[in-house]
Amino acid sequence: MNTKEKNKVPLIEDMFKWPSDEPRIIASRCKKCGTVSFPKLTFCQNPSCEKKRENIEVIELSNKGKLYSYTVQRYKPPEPFRYEPYKPYGIGMVDFPEGIRIWGMITRMDNLKIGMNVKTTAGKLYEDEENEYLTWMWEPVD
Amino acid sequence: MKNREVAIIGCGLHPWGRFPEKSQPELAVEAINMALEKANMDWREIEFIAAGSPLWVYDGEGVNNCLSGTAIERQMGNIGVPVVSTANACATGTATLMVACMAVASGEFDVAIAVAADKSAMGFFRPQSRNSRYDPDYQRFVMTGYTNPTYWGVETKRRMEEVGTTEEDLALIKVLVSKAGAKNPYARYKKVFTMEEVLNSPMVCDPLRLYEICSTSDGAGAVIVTSLDKAKKYTDKPVIVEGVTIGTGSFGDQSLPLYMLSAFPRPGVPTLTESRNAIARTYKMAREQYNRRCPEDIDVIELPDNTSWHYLVYLDCILDLKPGEAEEMIRRGDTDPIDGKIPVCPSGGLASCGESVAAQGLYQVKSAVDQLKGEAGESQVKKDVKVALAQTYGYAGNNAACLLSRGW
Ligand SMILES: [Zn+2]
Repeated sequence: MNTKEKNKVPLIEDMFKWPSDEPRIIASRCKKCGTVSFPKLTFCQNPSCEKKRENIEVIELSNKGKLYSYTVQRYKPPEPFRYEPYKPYGIGMVDFPEGIRIWGMITRMDNLKIGMNVKTTAGKLYEDEENEYLTWMWEPVD
Repeated sequence: MKNREVAIIGCGLHPWGRFPEKSQPELAVEAINMALEKANMDWREIEFIAAGSPLWVYDGEGVNNCLSGTAIERQMGNIGVPVVSTANACATGTATLMVACMAVASGEFDVAIAVAADKSAMGFFRPQSRNSRYDPDYQRFVMTGYTNPTYWGVETKRRMEEVGTTEEDLALIKVLVSKAGAKNPYARYKKVFTMEEVLNSPMVCDPLRLYEICSTSDGAGAVIVTSLDKAKKYTDKPVIVEGVTIGTGSFGDQSLPLYMLSAFPRPGVPTLTESRNAIARTYKMAREQYNRRCPEDIDVIELPDNTSWHYLVYLDCILDLKPGEAEEMIRRGDTDPIDGKIPVCPSGGLASCGESVAAQGLYQVKSAVDQLKGEAGESQVKKDVKVALAQTYGYAGNNAACLLSRGW
């Protein structure tokens, strides 16, 4: 029987660093004013800042942050979201040292606490014949 | 409004519910018929049409959604007048009213109609494209499973920690609002809920339970406006539009417009700035032209109770409350929809209607107009109503506010 490992690929490219032992969110930063955006933007979102492509650099965020708050999605969302086999999941927003707050699924749904330390990791959404499709997730480290 | 005062002379609604046998333009026609009748007016007297476009271009009726005004005018019969179709998510209905009012205030048109019909997608809202590169709604949905209620759950949990909101507070809001919904013939849900029923309903996105989150509905609304000096020709009770606007957020907001995957909170910038900006602008319009004191003069509020969390944060925004004051108000019964000190959602709110997204703002405006005119029947509030506020919350940071008063 074929036990070849499937490729692990991001469901959407270029949103988090992969492949990596230490996945990180890929964001953009304005070299003029320091505004950080995710997903990365072509122009600075600060209304007082000039709209020039060359002002923007792509950065990888720190891989640790603090959980701003969280919830559990108890019911299965409709397509096109796919999380298989489906089970309820923790989801929340994380404050990063770079000043940005970002959404993501959490690797567990119990024993979560506002303010807890989490790190960025990669987790599986679903798979087909060839690939496992990944997204970024928050993993509690406290 | 500057230049020329504007008044509402007729409102119409199609009841809220599920109507698979009718198209959106058909729902709109029924609302328009009622508004025309109230204004003693013929369709051919309309000089300008502002129509609201629902978001569900793919899940809904396609061209009837993106070109809603075209579809509605066709169904009413083409009369050759200018039509704009506008999409502002949940602020759409009020956006159409703003556009109609500006058309009249400018002096360019004497009679304008704001109209919107929406058969909102059922269940959790979902992205309308499969464009993984450019559709941020698709990106957020497939990568994080972030449904709208997850955001509301996250913020409710945070509020509980910061302000001390309790599960009983969240349930009490549904109990309060449902009392009024039971009396409104246009509401979809007529049931009066008990605390026990709400607290025993299934958890959807902790700590929000099923009965603390509004459902989605079909519905339609229409509002006819003219200049205040011409309004008496059509009605004894014209309602003055003291202020109406849509609002967008400020850079650095602490909260997150739905669909966005991140916030970049800056010091000194509050939450829900799209709402605060809409409210501030509306208050400014009313203050400058009518010496209105806001929020002190407001007698009744229609706010967007998409969830019990929304009800609390919109009390904060509209009344400029300190943390925890909104919770104290509801526990004291100050916001009882019929006999409260400041009645909130006498229409039954979104809790009793289910949100018909593009049309919801016009539903709220009609409720406010009925309260001012004393025509709200069983859901007429006990206190004398001279000034009413209608306020919406919306997807992607769209917001609207509208302040109305008696013009007789
Ligand atoms: Zn910048």
